Amino acid sequence: MAEKELTSKPENTNESKEISTSVLMKRWKKFKTLKRGYYSFLVILFFYLLSFAFPLLINKDALIVHYEGEYYFPVFQFYDAKTFGQDRPGETNYRILKQEFSNQDGDNWVLMPLYPYSPNENLLEEIPGIPPHPPTMQNFAGTDDRGRDVFARLMYGFNISISFALVVTMFSYILGVVIGAILGFFGGKIDIFGQRLIEIWSTLPFLYVIIIISSLVQPNFILLTVILTLFGWIGITYYIRGEFYREKAREYVSAAVSMGAKNRTIILKHILPNSLVPIISFAPFAIVGNISSLVALDFLGFGLPPPTPSWGQLMDQGLQNINNWWLVTFPLIALFLTLLCIVFIGEAIREAFDPKVYSRLR
Amino acid sequence: MISYFVRRFLLIVPTFLGITLITFIILQVVPGGPLEMELMKLRGMGAPGGEVGPTGTGTSGAINIPESALEEMKRFYGFDLPIHERYIRWLGNLLSFDLGRSYVYAEPVWDVITQRFPVSIYFGLIGFILSYAICVPLGVMKAVKNGSVFDFTSSVIVFAGYAMPGFAFGAIMLVLFGGGSFWDVFPLGGFRSDDFEYLSFSQQILDQLYHTVLPVAAYLTGSFATLTILTKNSVIENLSQDYVKTAFAKGISEKKVIFKHALRNSLIPIATGLGHFLSLVLAGSFLIEKVFNIDGMGLLGFNSIIQRDYPTVMGILVISSFLMLIGNIISDMLYAVIDPRIRFK
Repeated sequence: MAEKELTSKPENTNESKEISTSVLMKRWKKFKTLKRGYYSFLVILFFYLLSFAFPLLINKDALIVHYEGEYYFPVFQFYDAKTFGQDRPGETNYRILKQEFSNQDGDNWVLMPLYPYSPNENLLEEIPGIPPHPPTMQNFAGTDDRGRDVFARLMYGFNISISFALVVTMFSYILGVVIGAILGFFGGKIDIFGQRLIEIWSTLPFLYVIIIISSLVQPNFILLTVILTLFGWIGITYYIRGEFYREKAREYVSAAVSMGAKNRTIILKHILPNSLVPIISFAPFAIVGNISSLVALDFLGFGLPPPTPSWGQLMDQGLQNINNWWLVTFPLIALFLTLLCIVFIGEAIREAFDPKVYSRLR
Repeated sequence: MISYFVRRFLLIVPTFLGITLITFIILQVVPGGPLEMELMKLRGMGAPGGEVGPTGTGTSGAINIPESALEEMKRFYGFDLPIHERYIRWLGNLLSFDLGRSYVYAEPVWDVITQRFPVSIYFGLIGFILSYAICVPLGVMKAVKNGSVFDFTSSVIVFAGYAMPGFAFGAIMLVLFGGGSFWDVFPLGGFRSDDFEYLSFSQQILDQLYHTVLPVAAYLTGSFATLTILTKNSVIENLSQDYVKTAFAKGISEKKVIFKHALRNSLIPIATGLGHFLSLVLAGSFLIEKVFNIDGMGLLGFNSIIQRDYPTVMGILVISSFLMLIGNIISDMLYAVIDPRIRFK
């Protein structure tokens, strides 16, 4: 008996793996043919990976400083102003240093990143007048109400928005799949009781409750993730529960049961891979939803704590005085383009995963 | 079927209790409630008040609030009782339709909320009707002409709508048309002009319209994409059904097949959404109301959270979740009424 199980098991898993990978490959190939979605995917992937290198591209700290015959790498290490003979307290201002060096006409030079401003640095020293400043050639998108560069904030905000949405989506999926699988697989009293709890949970006006919580305790990245996850898993649970209900009546599950497979094995190895399709194609839209939620919360002032670069917070500033049009327009363009790309990806994935082909007479 | 719906109605009670209990506990347990806020305000005001006081002897730093006053305040906010007693008392009042008194407005919560009903219903209803009037025909057109240039170009608009949160769309509209750096076409927000009562009737209508356009456009972006795609998919699915093929085979004209046979069945999932019009009127709008500074239910809810006006917060929760629960049931009822194949057990 035990031997049989041992010998039969690897075969089974191998086979199911082979099938699932080949199906996935087929879908991936189909996805690649859907140009709009595929290119959106490449664009988002490229920018997201690039955004991790932003400290080297968008930063107030110089990449390399050559001073008095020695090389310094301020991006990686902090040097105070006196190191380079700059007469100011605290940090070195490398943009000014660069100018000083080129005025001196000596051997010293500074290599700045592509866009030499940081998201959390205020530029009041260099740009006179009351912030926010309108866009200029140096600061593409102007500055915000504290004189911080809007473009740098937008770019860093991109990384934070996507990372946040990915993390929340992943945790919501894990929670939703686990709960949905338990409800769908065991059914009966667990299901009825669980369904009631879910109904209560889903009827709670979620943005309202999130605002209540965030207004009482200042949220950080982790707390906000937890809160959004707590309200984000419900939709996935519905799908998974339904899939499990349907799948557990199939022959292959009966076969697995009759062979004495444990519940855990049946759930994880047999049913789960077969029931993931609808929620995979749902994922990009969940990400869109989570980005929108984060922007909305930031806009209301209950999102990530300052000084985190955030799109919603910029919009809020812009609406307080609509003459500062750049504070609304640029974050909105960033948000819109990002979401549009993800929607295109989602649409393509849905089409690639959808086995239904509609045909009609004309 | 009747027993099914009776059971559904009865199930409202435990669900409702659960919702209010969760929110009540969150409100009461988490620090920073109205009592703390009031104390902070008193302490904050203590310092400047002392400086300009008539005696001229400034009391420095925080003032001490006497024990008796503290007890008094605790009783006012209901914090003198343990939490379960507070909840039961609140629930008892609710059964006699008493939502308590608002801390901020010093009026019964019920009055505070109902005063804002007309504004929210006005925008909610217009947005709701317009979204159905635009999205359903558009979805049908897209399905009938699936794959055409029209379908493709309108899809771009639909995707754009999906990628644009309603409040963000409202914000950019305000920047463009609100008279900031660009065009001065529409007012900056609000429900009506301040001098509304002194305008002539035709001016009143015009004024109301001016204040309606942008917020309603923002409301529409929210539901535009989903409703259009829902309609389109539903129609496409029906067009590939056997009964449509049969109708074609009988030699009925395409127009008749689509509009007489397929369309009626395609509208079933869309019609069931009508059940939620109850909560649509109230829910999900506080972002837009905040952008346009419209004094409706959404803004009230938002402000009451910020001002720790707990009776109002709970009152809004009670009303909106109740409407949502009823809306769910009405949706299912509509389903059963429209589609005789569906039987609830």
